[in-house]
Amino acid sequence: MNDDPELERRYRRLLAAYPAAFRREYGQEILSVLMAGAEQGQRWPRLAEAADLLRSATLTRLRTRWRTSWAWEYRHRRVMVPIRVLSGIWLVALTAILYGYGVGGWWAVLLVPAAAAHFYAAYRSLRRRV
Amino acid sequence: MQEATFLILTALAGGSQHGYGIITDVERISDQRVRLRAGTLYTALERLRVDGLIEVDREEIVDSRLRRYYRLTATGQECLAAEAARLQAHAVIAISRLGPVGAR
Repeated sequence: MNDDPELERRYRRLLAAYPAAFRREYGQEILSVLMAGAEQGQRWPRLAEAADLLRSATLTRLRTRWRTSWAWEYRHRRVMVPIRVLSGIWLVALTAILYGYGVGGWWAVLLVPAAAAHFYAAYRSLRRRV
Repeated sequence: MQEATFLILTALAGGSQHGYGIITDVERISDQRVRLRAGTLYTALERLRVDGLIEVDREEIVDSRLRRYYRLTATGQECLAAEAARLQAHAVIAISRLGPVGAR
């Protein structure tokens, strides 16, 4: 337990790494936990603790972005599913054509995962998974 | 299920707790082996809330600091029970195969 305003200010600065929405929901609470766990007389956040906050903030940002893009994809599924399916088919056809003409290099291998990603996005929207 | 998640759910299985309470309880449950850090704890809590395994029980202000208590939902109880049964089944097999060495 610790009540040093200086330490609190430093913790707050670390919490700024989180997305604003997450901070609004959990900021005060995380701060209480950090201050409760701090040693008496401690003035700086411990290194491992700071690293953990930054790691968690990065993870939260990535996850939020991932979630919002899937939500967008799902909301626009009427347009996106046909686009995804056609793009996937086109990429597969393109790969076949390139190899058919004997110009399929190692980079053509990238087309198949891209096609698979399009099909997966369509499949995911159809399965109502957001 | 990750070990940290399992331990958090186990801490909440005994009743609602706030963030720092979960940290000290997990330390006790794991025999001082796992000390959750604040960042890890809240990434996990947020995910568990979104997935519907836990929910907010109540909020209190103690010494001008916010304390939010979490509790398991029915889904959370089911998930924890299933995971505990799975771990137990594995542990029983491991111990029986090790014979007298494992029974120490």
